[in-house]
Amino acid sequence: MIRMSSWVSAAGLAVLGIASLGCQGEKKPEGAAPTGSAAPAAQKPADPAEKFKGQTLNILAWEGYADPKFTKGFEEKYGVTVKGTYFGSSDELVAKLKSSPGVYDIVSPSSDVAYTLVQGGLVDPIDTSKIANWGDLADALKNLEDAKKDGKQYGVPFTWGPDYLIYDANVVKEEPKSWKVFYDAQYKGKVTLWDDISNIYLVGQIMGLDKTNQAALYNMTDEQLAEAKKKLVELKPQVRKYWATAGELNDLFKNKEVVLAVGWPLTVGTLNKEGLNLKGVIPEEGATGWIDRLMITSSSKNKDLALAYLDYVTSPKAQALVFEATGGYCVANAKAKEHMSEDLKKSPCVTEGETYFKRLNFWQYVKERKKYNELWNEVKSAK
Amino acid sequence: MDTAPAAKASIHAQTPPKRRALLFLVLPPALWLLCFLVLPYLGLFFQSFLGTNDLGDVVLEPSLDAWRAFFTKTLYRSTLLYTFKIALTVTSLAVLFSVPLAYFIAFKVRRGKELLYSLIIVPLWVSYIVRAYAWKIILGREGILNSFLQWAKITDAPVEAFLYSEWAIIIGLVHIYTPFVLMPVYTAFEQIPRSLVEASKDLGAGRITTFFRVVLPLSLPGVIAGGTFAFVLTLGDFLAPVLLGGTDNLMISNVVQNLFGTSNDRPLGSVVGIVLLVVVVALLETTSRAEKSFASLESGRGRLGGAR
Repeated sequence: MIRMSSWVSAAGLAVLGIASLGCQGEKKPEGAAPTGSAAPAAQKPADPAEKFKGQTLNILAWEGYADPKFTKGFEEKYGVTVKGTYFGSSDELVAKLKSSPGVYDIVSPSSDVAYTLVQGGLVDPIDTSKIANWGDLADALKNLEDAKKDGKQYGVPFTWGPDYLIYDANVVKEEPKSWKVFYDAQYKGKVTLWDDISNIYLVGQIMGLDKTNQAALYNMTDEQLAEAKKKLVELKPQVRKYWATAGELNDLFKNKEVVLAVGWPLTVGTLNKEGLNLKGVIPEEGATGWIDRLMITSSSKNKDLALAYLDYVTSPKAQALVFEATGGYCVANAKAKEHMSEDLKKSPCVTEGETYFKRLNFWQYVKERKKYNELWNEVKSAK
Repeated sequence: MDTAPAAKASIHAQTPPKRRALLFLVLPPALWLLCFLVLPYLGLFFQSFLGTNDLGDVVLEPSLDAWRAFFTKTLYRSTLLYTFKIALTVTSLAVLFSVPLAYFIAFKVRRGKELLYSLIIVPLWVSYIVRAYAWKIILGREGILNSFLQWAKITDAPVEAFLYSEWAIIIGLVHIYTPFVLMPVYTAFEQIPRSLVEASKDLGAGRITTFFRVVLPLSLPGVIAGGTFAFVLTLGDFLAPVLLGGTDNLMISNVVQNLFGTSNDRPLGSVVGIVLLVVVVALLETTSRAEKSFASLESGRGRLGGAR
């Protein structure tokens, strides 16, 4: 029996060893570097292009944040591959990052979980002197305290924007003034909400909790949470489906399943290009918003490459491409405006700038996140 | 299972080299089970007694919080019950479709039996997600079904209740799991000696009596085996509610996925995982007993049961 068990454990270890080797093998740089365009620059031996050639940068980000439209420039510059993995909610980001250390180099946490990543040691401080455009990035974004620890900066501002009300202007003829339009009987079964705890912030806003204190949405009392739950359950008959990814939201609009939604500019931008007539609006109660910064994971094996990417993606040109690819997510570098198309310059984050920024109640760290999550599940299971 | 004691006895009786050879035969599956079933579940069990801190990390301090949460909050209980309800409906429907179909193929079809049988298996080659999406295309507001109903003037407005509802989940799951029921039922039908059916007829039983008193009882082990497949697989399904379900069709695996993949509450996720495991093991045990008892009715020795 003793011999048997030592056999078993030895073999078990061997199996685990092989398995982990297998996993590591997977992470090795893959695919041949694009040839041609980077060649002239690559001839100097000290050039970073030579150093990074063939490597793969893994980005774990929100949908649209690894779009070839802007990552291509980086790939060509250094002869590397940028691989994007998209997540559907802030919590999913944290869970994925924790469960697979070493896989991702860059993450794009929003302002509700940035603090968690920084305090939990999941991301590394960033040497901002290595980012050429650091000085041009919006101060309001750089000064956020949640991405700082011991005086060090952990996040590079990337984009920000609203969780606003999206409506199909072909069906909803009049611009909705209030979020309460979701409760309107004529749109029964035509509403879609995001499958995320941010719906709790949303009803908190409808309840007017953030009139005096913006943080109130993210620190609700038990009574307020119970009230929010009631409001969300009341809303259920109006809701067709809770969307999990931006792609799913697109399908819901395209298949005429819904006419009202809470969503991001990405949806409006993408679908209007396909001939739909969607509009986004910030109702009178206001809207919540998100600020996304890019961070380098502490488990990354390509930290230098990641830093080079942050330097690249904050340049005015790249930021303009980000703006275009995401259908109008406000970007951190104001100089990007010079590279934007006339059409995109009409976006409120360009024309209104700071005023637009002030109209949004940006997500904050939620201490009772477990409670919020459980409440959201209770809403979903309520009949 | 009655071969197990015999094998054990022979290990002791054999000479060492043979014993070693046997060990090599048993070792790979044993290792497999240990690495991919026993150890992970032990990990889950251990983890279920830990707590989490504010940042969502599991902390190495014993805590009964997760178990307490599972048993005190209605969310977990009601979701589990709801999942049972769906699983039971799906299983019943899958059995209801499988038995006549399998009977037809096994007893009534003379030519092209294999072809018909493989036509039923073919859908298994198509990915689950593709099939679920196909249902979206059929059931959607502007889908095939609604277009047809409106074209035929049966309804004048699209019926919204088809997609994103409990029924959409049930339809999708029945479609996906019916082949799993059909295969063992068909096998059971095929194994019934035709002479028994003849004898029943010779003794004056009509077609219906023969089916219900001879054929169906003999096929019960297959029905139970297939039904168990459908039930257990439905119990663990989380994609159908996501793709086809509406706003109130949360199933228990969605909760598990949420606890591990979103809330990062691994202790509570482990608790739900363990409860599900216990339920499934209890169910498998019960049905395997039922299967055996039905199989032994047949020839006193459990011929059908022994074959499986």
